[in-house]
Amino acid sequence: MATLVFLEHHGGELQKGSLGVLAKAASLGDASAVLVGAGVTALAAEAGGYGAATVHVADDASLESPLPQPRVDALAQVVRDGGYDTVLFANSVLAADVAAGLAARLDAGLNWDLADLVQQDGTLVGKRPALGDSVYVDVGWKTEPRIALFRAGSFDATPTGGGAPAVESVAVELEPYSTATKIVAQEHEESSGPSIEDADVIVAGGRGLGAPENFSLAEELARALGGAVGATRAVVDAGWYPYAAQIGQTGKTVSPKLYVALGISGAIQHKVGMQSSNTIVAINKDPNAPIFEFSDLGVVGDVHEIVPKLTELVQQRKNG
Amino acid sequence: MTRASDYPPPFDARDFVSEPTDPVDERIEVGILVVGAGPAGLACAIRLGQLIEEHPDVAERLGEVPVAVVEKGKQPGSHLLSGAVVNPIGLKLLFGDRYRREEYPSYGEVHGEAVYVLSKRGAMRIPPPPTMRNHGNLVFSLSRLGRWLADHAEEGGAMILPETAAEKLLVSHGRVVGIRTGDKGRDRDGSPMGNFEPGADLVAKVTVLAEGTQGHLTGVAIDRFGLAGAQPQVWELGVKEVWKVATPLRDVIHTMGWPLRKAARYREFGGSFVYPMGDDMLTIGMVVGLDYRDVELSAHDLLQELKTHPKIRKLLEGGERVAWGAKTIPSGGYHALPRQLHAPGVLFCGDGVGMVNIPRLKGVHYAIESGRLAAESAFASLRRGASPGSSLGSYDEAIRSSFIHSDLYEVRDMRQVFGRGFFVGGALASAMTVTKGKVAVGALEAEPDAEAPLLRTNRAADYPAADGTLTFDKLSSVFASGNKTRDDQPNHIRVERNVPRDVAELWARMCPAHVYEVGEADGDGTVTVQLAPSNCVQCGAITAKGGRLTPPEGGSGPEYTLT
Repeated sequence: MATLVFLEHHGGELQKGSLGVLAKAASLGDASAVLVGAGVTALAAEAGGYGAATVHVADDASLESPLPQPRVDALAQVVRDGGYDTVLFANSVLAADVAAGLAARLDAGLNWDLADLVQQDGTLVGKRPALGDSVYVDVGWKTEPRIALFRAGSFDATPTGGGAPAVESVAVELEPYSTATKIVAQEHEESSGPSIEDADVIVAGGRGLGAPENFSLAEELARALGGAVGATRAVVDAGWYPYAAQIGQTGKTVSPKLYVALGISGAIQHKVGMQSSNTIVAINKDPNAPIFEFSDLGVVGDVHEIVPKLTELVQQRKNG
Repeated sequence: MTRASDYPPPFDARDFVSEPTDPVDERIEVGILVVGAGPAGLACAIRLGQLIEEHPDVAERLGEVPVAVVEKGKQPGSHLLSGAVVNPIGLKLLFGDRYRREEYPSYGEVHGEAVYVLSKRGAMRIPPPPTMRNHGNLVFSLSRLGRWLADHAEEGGAMILPETAAEKLLVSHGRVVGIRTGDKGRDRDGSPMGNFEPGADLVAKVTVLAEGTQGHLTGVAIDRFGLAGAQPQVWELGVKEVWKVATPLRDVIHTMGWPLRKAARYREFGGSFVYPMGDDMLTIGMVVGLDYRDVELSAHDLLQELKTHPKIRKLLEGGERVAWGAKTIPSGGYHALPRQLHAPGVLFCGDGVGMVNIPRLKGVHYAIESGRLAAESAFASLRRGASPGSSLGSYDEAIRSSFIHSDLYEVRDMRQVFGRGFFVGGALASAMTVTKGKVAVGALEAEPDAEAPLLRTNRAADYPAADGTLTFDKLSSVFASGNKTRDDQPNHIRVERNVPRDVAELWARMCPAHVYEVGEADGDGTVTVQLAPSNCVQCGAITAKGGRLTPPEGGSGPEYTLT
C-alpha cells in the first residue's frame, strides 16, 4: 500500500485535521504527504513528525490562492508519478472540493464522511456513520486509487516521532481550465476562539440557559477552558445563537476531547452530533433529562449557580 | 369561545397561481405531468405507459418526455404512510392478469379480524361491524408499495423527478399549463445561498394533481376554479409505528373507545388499528378526527397511551419500534368532494380530493383507480381530433360510473352521525351500511375542523412519560421517521404567530412532530408561537386546524420506508 495524505495549511500552519489523518495513515503503513501552495516548503519538515516518509511539495506563486483545481492538478500528477494507490483527506471546504475533483479526474472511487480506516484481511475498509450516526457501515473501494475524506476530528494529531522527511519538489503543469477561477477577495469572520470543528473543548448551551443573554455563561466558561461555544437546534431556532454554532443531526458533527452541555436535554437529534466526544459533562436541573444517559459526568443542578463558580475555579487553576 | 379559525394564517392561494415566467426556450416541456408519486399518481403514470405502448401515434405527439412525475420526497415512498389494509381491486384493474395476488409486494392476506371496545384496563370483543370486515384484503406498507409502483412507472417510460416540490400552478388563459417547481438553496430569510437552484416551469398538455392529503396545488386549484364541494373538507390525524416483534400477530385488530372519550361534547371520533406485517413485524396506529375540541389532545400521545393498555402491551412485549410517522386522512367523504374533478388542463385524483371511505378505513384502491381513470381521460384528450380542454370532462363521468362513486355514496352520511355520540352514531352507521345507504340521516352541516370551539380538561396529565422502550417522545419519533431536513431553509408553515394561549397550545399538542411551541406572553392576552419547521413530517394537520402547510424545499421531510 502506498498512501498519500493531502496536507492543508492556512496562515503558514499545517491544519491539525490533516496531520491527524497523516498520523493515522502512518500507523497503517508507509505514508507520504503532499503540500501545495506558495512558500510552503518550510512546512514539510513538520510533517515528518507525524509519520510522512516523503513530502511532495508543489511550491509556486501560482498556487498561492486556496483554489481546488490547481490542487487537483498537483495531486493527480503526484498520484500518477508516485504510483500511489490510496489518497486521504481531512474534511474541510477546500479538501472536499479537491477530493471530489481528484476522484473525477482519476475516475477513482471516493468514500466520504469516514470516521475511521482499518485493515481487514489485507484490504482497506472505511467506517462510515450512517442512519443518523446510529451505526457504522463498512465501505470499500472497487478500484485504485482509493480516495477517502475523513470527518473532522476523526483522528488526534499525535506526533509519531518520525524524523525529517525526504522532500521532493513537484513542478505542476496547470490545466488551462484550472486557472480560470481567481479569488478576488478573502474575508475572515472574526472569532475569539477556535471554531467548533477544531476545538478540543466545546461548551454548548441549550434551552435550559433560559434566555439568550445567558449564553454569556457558556462563552465565559469556553474562554476559560480555551474552547468554542456550541448550541442546540432549539436555541438556534429561537434566534439565541447563530446557526454556525449548531451541533446535531442537521448542524455540525463534532468530537472534541471535552464536551460540556449546559441546560441541554439531549434529544437524539443533538446526541448524534456530539456523541463521539471523548468526555461528556452535562449540567441540567432535570434529573430525567436523556443527556444523563450518555454523559460521563452528570451534574443535576442549576446552570446559573454552577457555571459561574466552575468558570472561576478553572480560571484560578489556570492562573495558579 | 376560542376557535382556531379566528386566527387565519397569512396565506393567499392566489400567490401560488401564476403565468409561466421562464423564457419559452427554458421551460421544461413534458407530455402529461403528474404531481405526486403516490398510489394515484403512479397508477396514472403506469396506465399512461400502457396506453402509449398501445397507441404509438399518440405517443409521438407527447414529445421527448411523454410522462413525468414530480415528487417532493427524497424518493417515491418517502412521504407515503397508511394503515394499510388494501382492497386489491385497484391493483387488479391496473395490472390485469400480469400479477397474481401473492405477487404484489404485500405482507399477506387478512385471515382473521377482531374488534374491541377498550376501557382503561378492559377490552370487550364485539362482532366486526360490516364496514370493518376485511377478509381477502391485503396488508401493505404504502411506502414500500410506492417504491414498487415507481419501478413499474419507470419501466413504462415515465420520468420520475424526486426531491421536487410543486410550488405554483401555472395557468395561462384560464387553463392549467403545468407547475412551477420550488427553489432550492435559500436561507432562512429567503436569500439565495451558494448552492441556490431556482425552480423551473414544467409545462404539460395535461396536468394530473395526485398530491395526496392536503395537496398544496389541489387546494390552490380548487380555490382558483371555484370547485369547492357541498361541504367543507374535514380530516383525521393518524399516527403510527412499525414494530419488530417476537411473536407474530395473526389477526387484524381494530379498537374503539379508550383512550378516546365517548362523551359527545369532546367530539373524539376515532380508533386504533394493529395489523400484522409478516412473521416478525406489526404496525400500530391511532386515528382521531381533527374536529376534536380539547387543546391538550395529542394523537401522538394517545398512541403512546394506547400501547400501555394490557391487551396492546402484550403484543409488543420484547419488541422494538423501527419506524414512526403521521399523516392526515381526508374524512369529509362524498359531500366534501369538489363539485367537479377536472378544470381546464387539470385532473384531480385520490386523497387530494378526499376519495376516502372512512367507515371502511379505505382509500388506497380509490387512489389507484382514480389515477388509472385520469390516465385514460388525459390520454383520450390528446388523441387526434379531440379538443384538449373539453374532453377532460370524461374523467368525471368515469369516476361517477366507478366503484369510487358508489362506495362513497353508500356511506355518505356516516362521518356526520358520529357527532351524535359514539353509541348512537355507531348504531346508525351500522344501519346505514347494512341497508346499502338507504337509511339516510341527511347531510348534517359539517363545520371545518378549525371552527371547533376549544375546551380544556387537563387531558395531558394522563399521557404516559416516554420510557424509550414502549413509549416515545415526539422528537425521538421525528428522528425515527428519518427526517433530517435542513434547518436553515425558509419556513414553509403559515400560521398566525400571535394567538391566544389556547390556540398555541392546541397546535403544540396536536402536532406529532413537535413543530410548534408556546412562546412568551405578549402582554395583550396572546402568546407568540415558536416554530421548528424542520421537524415537520408534512402530515397536514395544521391546515385542518387553522394554519396552512406549503411544500418546503424538495427532498425535505420524513424518509419513510416501512410505513
